[in-house]
Amino acid sequence: MNLHRLRHTTAIRLALRYALFYALLITLGLGVLYWTIDHYVDAQMAASLESELARLNQIEHDTGRDALITSINEELQRNNSDNQRYYLLQSTDGALLAGNLTGWPNNFATNKIVRNVWVEDDLIPGRHADEDGFWPMIAMQLDDGSRLLIGQSVQQAEDLQEFILGTMAIILAVSVGLALTMGWLLGRTLLQRIDSINATAQSVTAGELSGRVQLTGQGDEFDELGGHLNTMLERIEKLLTGMHQVTDNIAHDLRRPLARMRNRIEVTLLEGRDAGEYMLALEETLQDCDELIRTFNALLEIAQAEAGSVRGEWKTIDLTTLLQDLGELYLDQAEAQGKHLSLKIEANLKFVGNRHLLAQAVGNLLDNAFKYTPDSAMILLEAKPEAGKLWLSVSDNGPGIAGDQREHVLERFVRLESERSTTGNGLGLSLVRAAAELHKAELKLEDNQPGLRVSLILPT
Amino acid sequence: MHILLIEDDQSAAAYLIKGLSENRHQVDHASDGDDGLHMALTGEYDILVVDRMLPKRDGLSIIRMLRADNNNTPVLVLSAMGEVDDRVEGLRAGGDDYLVKPYAFAELLARLDAMARRSADIDGPSRLSVGDLELDIFKHKVTRAGRVIRLQPRELRLLEFFMRHTGQVVTRTMLLEQVWDFHFDPQTNVIDTQISRLRSKIDRDFEHPLLHTVRGVGYRLDESP
Repeated sequence: MNLHRLRHTTAIRLALRYALFYALLITLGLGVLYWTIDHYVDAQMAASLESELARLNQIEHDTGRDALITSINEELQRNNSDNQRYYLLQSTDGALLAGNLTGWPNNFATNKIVRNVWVEDDLIPGRHADEDGFWPMIAMQLDDGSRLLIGQSVQQAEDLQEFILGTMAIILAVSVGLALTMGWLLGRTLLQRIDSINATAQSVTAGELSGRVQLTGQGDEFDELGGHLNTMLERIEKLLTGMHQVTDNIAHDLRRPLARMRNRIEVTLLEGRDAGEYMLALEETLQDCDELIRTFNALLEIAQAEAGSVRGEWKTIDLTTLLQDLGELYLDQAEAQGKHLSLKIEANLKFVGNRHLLAQAVGNLLDNAFKYTPDSAMILLEAKPEAGKLWLSVSDNGPGIAGDQREHVLERFVRLESERSTTGNGLGLSLVRAAAELHKAELKLEDNQPGLRVSLILPT
Repeated sequence: MHILLIEDDQSAAAYLIKGLSENRHQVDHASDGDDGLHMALTGEYDILVVDRMLPKRDGLSIIRMLRADNNNTPVLVLSAMGEVDDRVEGLRAGGDDYLVKPYAFAELLARLDAMARRSADIDGPSRLSVGDLELDIFKHKVTRAGRVIRLQPRELRLLEFFMRHTGQVVTRTMLLEQVWDFHFDPQTNVIDTQISRLRSKIDRDFEHPLLHTVRGVGYRLDESP
């Protein structure tokens, strides 16, 4: 996965946007912090200068000039290099009485107010070159007219500022870096998941219909999406396979009767025949036509049921009445064929679905039961509610269907060898299966010991 | 009957006109929707046979226009669309019956006859008789030559349907639709067994059978053989 593509993914764009946003937020927060600290430090220094000035003034007031000078000298000796304080006591004529400043800063007023003053290098003896700058200072006029000035080196405050700024830069860099890394990781993960879906889509587009999205089993939204896509693909594949099958089957199974018809007509037309012969040929042709139409209609009906396009007629069906009517229709049939049909249909069975299709499906099952059982067979049409579902089954005690054939007979045009002697197009059970699927019902073919039991288990 | 056929397939129309004429019907033909609607509105017809897909104006639209104009001429819709939904749609538009192509001509003929009869009297009398067979619908009583015949409810409805269409050919599909309300095509001959049971009750013990089999088409209840 190349960087260019990664840069264009939604995840990365989001991550970049968030990184920028967080960087701004952090900068703002740290800025406020820095400004606050700076002000605090300034205020702290001003307060300590004011109190120092007051203390020295008090000393002079209480114990005289000599004590003041001694105090200043003590302070100068105690001063450490980091937090250096500078003192200047000047007599009225400008002579240095005490302190370590060489001169009075230009026009600095003796009004007991802390001000930042630009301190030139030559004011301070033996100082470092880079110590110049705005220093907070305070000054006052003593009772005899001499002036006292106290100044504070900002070296320590500047060190603190530098430290804070440095820390801030590190925090900023680390958090932006983290945001970008997270975004990149996130983007890559998302891209990998999407890529697997894309790959599946491409392979399906290329004709590989059995391709499915790989699920991680994490049950996340991608798995959900993949699951939905897979269901969709399964449906598409099934419909397409069904269509292929129909085309194949039509080609194969409709060709034979068509060929038969064509041959008959051709042979009949070969030479002059009498009216009776023509009539016979036409009647046989008509029968073949009807058979073809029936097969064709059955195929269409299955296709419609499979495509789910008959849903328009969805309504509540009185299943009890429907099955009783159907059963009744076949009762005489059973009698005429010397078979026994019994109905075991519970009262008040209701089901929402397509009446026409269900009737056709049960009709097909009954047709089969009659067709493929010997004389005096027992056939049972049963319907009952069980475990929240509706069980609808047609069972007989005929020859049944071998276990390995039961899935096979549901396919279109499949007729077992043993059925070749009977008429039929091999579509009956295909329609039952299509109807079952449309109604989300389970279709079960079981051994009735002996015989076959076909059950439709309808959801309620 | 005077029939208007609206059908754009010329060869299908020609064959229908021939068949209907041979059955002593008078047929007018329109080959597109606009002509058909014009003829239906201006002419006097006993029945309309309308193809669903037509150039210029589709069949269902013709029926809707007619019905909006209070023209209640019975309409049989012909269609190549066979889904149940389509049938429902066709009947809802005001069609009286619906036949899916390809259909048997005999089926079309039988349905046209039934429709003409249905429009003549919708409810019909409650007492019906064919020859010496009588049916009192309210009392559920059937007699033939004065002898009472006991019928099951379904057999009664079957007989009533036949008696309302006396002399007409009734197809198996029509019976399945009208008497059982099933729109499917059973492979085994369930209708035939129902008929033979009814026949055993109303015909077996009598000299002249009333319920006749019309080969390849269906059945007919009639005094004359």
